[in-house]
Amino acid sequence: MDNFIDRISISIQRGKIDANSPYPPDMKGEPGADELTREALQNGVAANDILTLAMIPAMGIVGELFKDKKLFVPQVLMSAKAMNSAMLHLKPYFTSGEIKQRGTFVIGTVSGDLHDIGKNLVSMMIEGSGWRVIDLGVDVKTERFIEAVQENPGCILGMSALLTTTMESMEKSVRQVRSNYPSQRILVGGAPLSKEFAFRIGADMYAPNPQVAVEYINSIA
Amino acid sequence: MTGKEYIINAYKLSECDRTPWLPFVGCHGAALIGKNADTYLSSAELIIQGQKEAIRRYSPDGIPVTFDLQLEAEALGCRIFFSESNPPAVVSHPLEDGVKLSELKIPSKSDGRVGEVLRAAEVLCREHPDIAFFGLVTGPFTLALHLMGTEIFTAMFEDPQKAEEVIEFCSRVAKNVSDYYIEAGCTVIAIVDPMTSQIDPYSFETFVKQPMTGIFEHIRQKNCLSSFFVCGQAEHNLDLMAKCRPDNVSVDENIPLEYVRDVALSNGVSFGGNLKLTTTLLLGTPEDSERDALECILIGGKRGFILAPGCDLPMATPVENLEAVSRLVRDEYRQEFLKRTSQVQENEVLPDLSSRWTKGKVIIDVITLDSSSCAPCQYMMELVERLKPQFNEKIEIFEHKIKTKEGLLMMKSLGVRNIPTICINGKVRFISITPPLRQLIESIKEEMM
Repeated sequence: MDNFIDRISISIQRGKIDANSPYPPDMKGEPGADELTREALQNGVAANDILTLAMIPAMGIVGELFKDKKLFVPQVLMSAKAMNSAMLHLKPYFTSGEIKQRGTFVIGTVSGDLHDIGKNLVSMMIEGSGWRVIDLGVDVKTERFIEAVQENPGCILGMSALLTTTMESMEKSVRQVRSNYPSQRILVGGAPLSKEFAFRIGADMYAPNPQVAVEYINSIA
Repeated sequence: MTGKEYIINAYKLSECDRTPWLPFVGCHGAALIGKNADTYLSSAELIIQGQKEAIRRYSPDGIPVTFDLQLEAEALGCRIFFSESNPPAVVSHPLEDGVKLSELKIPSKSDGRVGEVLRAAEVLCREHPDIAFFGLVTGPFTLALHLMGTEIFTAMFEDPQKAEEVIEFCSRVAKNVSDYYIEAGCTVIAIVDPMTSQIDPYSFETFVKQPMTGIFEHIRQKNCLSSFFVCGQAEHNLDLMAKCRPDNVSVDENIPLEYVRDVALSNGVSFGGNLKLTTTLLLGTPEDSERDALECILIGGKRGFILAPGCDLPMATPVENLEAVSRLVRDEYRQEFLKRTSQVQENEVLPDLSSRWTKGKVIIDVITLDSSSCAPCQYMMELVERLKPQFNEKIEIFEHKIKTKEGLLMMKSLGVRNIPTICINGKVRFISITPPLRQLIESIKEEMM
């Protein structure tokens, strides 16, 4: 079992999707996260072990390296692709209830803002740490955030803004959600934001990078 | 020396007697003339009006024609979402939607809004020959992202040939659009490639360095100056950016300016930056903006440095913040004042002035840098001294030089924020401007009543 767990973890860390994937060059021709996960399940490795011992720690390492600027967006996206190829094999186990996610994370880019790279990175990293992610997309109106909170009791809400002007939309959305659901946990992020701004508008946490978001939501789960 | 000469001197690494100033006015120009960003960025006439207003208010040495990194993408078929208060955003990526690279044509001078911007460039360059106009061109990696979507990131690993072909096409677009701006009369072509901040140095070297170097060489052959401009956390690629051989690298506040200076100068290129866009210029006060500018000026030095915001100015940037920066670059006394006053700590014990006004005399405090070395301070002191024959022992005159710690503390106690300033019996009465003698005498008499 350890062999499969280690190899799946390394495949995700290195962004090795499957045997046909040319990346990374030094793993050319070797099986990737896709084949290894399938084989592991066929060989009796528990789905939950694959999730908690291979995938979640691997994405944690990727997140740390990204935070420390040792990995960049392209490498993280490759790792996320590898993780998704493994996750596909685990879907039936989530459906059957054999393995459980840590909770639900709802995320969206605020109204008037169409940027999604940062939001997508956060989504991937949080999904990779064992959460169910509901991605509301970009240009999300306040009402939609409120609906999503209503539909997913106990969820954690994330909002992203990349423009100085849409920081105002973020403030409006955070205040409105907070007014309807005073105890709702809200996490915000995006290039022009700061910790001071986040706290001033009533958010619980400011995440300057995806890993901080992961650490925060795991700390309160 | 004209503003354009200041910019050219800095680009050529010559010593300047003051720091050149380059406000990145894009959609902020719309706010200056009371228009929305979407109509503004679509009209040559409005761009001309807005940039002229920016020139009138901010006295720049250089200024972009406009700041819109969606221009080329739109001309190449990307769908654009316009906003009232921001530059537009790209919302569709033709190569992701099935269009083939071979079907894309290099934009002509009249595709999309390119013609409007070029017309604005021609008029502005012709009517303001003393200002360096910057033609902003979308860098090949950012344009490749517009065309392919985020697939460009993974294509570098999974299909490197495709990534190379798209970036090569985008670098040809950049060369052509650079030519359009050069023909319109621009002094500098800035290749703006913010998305390169998101890739690692190895990927930069593999996919970006060679096409970028080619673009800068092309601009050089046309006898024009160039800048490699990246907003975002690009510290890890800065040395490679400089090695692409532009005349200048320009970055935002994510990168410490000391580091930018050292990397740029060691590579023989000038550098620009990095006023804080949000925390200072958008949300701060004029004095915050001045202090930020001064810090940049002190670090940047007078050789090879251009003071500029880190990126496109937000539309709602307060005008008074930019006006304050504009005055500061030309006002050495104000720079000296800010330098001195920054030495007073927040928790410093200030002198108790409560017994100062009970002597039965009018106390005149003049806060100066030093009347023996600062001309406006000297005139103000000379004026105040002329009160003596008329009022004799009824007045007492003190000069407080903020070059000394005592002077600084006195300035703070009196609530003075500019030099030179005259306070009469503790009240701030005349700020910066030396009043007519008669007006000063009236003020003294008021205090005696």
